[in-house]
Amino acid sequence: MKPDERSFRIALVADRYVNPPPGGLDALAVLAMAGWGAMQLPADDYPADIAARVLAEVTEQAEEFSRHGYDFVLIGDRDGLAEALAAAGLAVPDRIVPTDAAQLLDFLAARPAPAVSSWSWLNRD
Amino acid sequence: MGVAFVAHCLLNQNSKVGDGAHCAGIYSPVVDVLREKGWRIEQMPCPELAFTGLNRFWAVREQLDTPEYRRYCRRLANAVADMIAVRAAQGEDIVLIGVEGSPSMGVHITSSDPARGGLPEWPAGSAELTSGEGIFVEELRAELGRRGIAAGLGGETHALPDHDAQTQRTQLESLLEGR
Repeated sequence: MKPDERSFRIALVADRYVNPPPGGLDALAVLAMAGWGAMQLPADDYPADIAARVLAEVTEQAEEFSRHGYDFVLIGDRDGLAEALAAAGLAVPDRIVPTDAAQLLDFLAARPAPAVSSWSWLNRD
Repeated sequence: MGVAFVAHCLLNQNSKVGDGAHCAGIYSPVVDVLREKGWRIEQMPCPELAFTGLNRFWAVREQLDTPEYRRYCRRLANAVADMIAVRAAQGEDIVLIGVEGSPSMGVHITSSDPARGGLPEWPAGSAELTSGEGIFVEELRAELGRRGIAAGLGGETHALPDHDAQTQRTQLESLLEGR
């Protein structure tokens, strides 16, 4: 079996960086290059009640990652995110509103390695 | 063009069961095709992640198929169906992209072994792979059916023993072009 290749690093990503407008920054391409996972935040055009439910589910999943020590950052922002995270006892992660790919890459590269990357039950032989 | 609702792990391999992450984070082969074809990407939640946790064992459908897990999947499916309904009302074509072989996210192939349980001693292998849908995909498709929303269905095949990157790409392109 191939070793588990997870990075233990996850970015909460505003929709405009997942589905960028023409000329906009494609954060998924940058995250793929840097070896980070993405959790997409609901697009701004969703009705408030739908967005709130999606944010609650995102938060519940972030809570599971967080309690295991995975590293989180926030790319962009989303109304209601801070409140949803706070309801689960989570702080808003370090945030960037990048203007280009190089700036985002630098931000990600500057993060320290997450402690859980030495999980003993992964990659055992 | 339209909107592709993709399995959570296709954008975040950190959500995979231990020893199951194929890459560091984003599974680019699927994202690349969606970008090339101009499809919008929407990430679905991972039904196994919050319910059974990051330290979960590999499991087959029968181990996850409890009334409570069904209720949880229906909750998530309702939230996703609400999002899909918004996009469908905007006139967008919809596709769902799951993960073949998954007990939750399988679209055409899931995993099944009615005898599995107890102390986990079974060897890794593919004997549990079988035709069928995963539990979440089943619940989501049922919810979309109740709402009268049609969606194309495709699956990422990396976990299958006969996975071939070019075949997967061709199948995904065909799914998108057929909408």
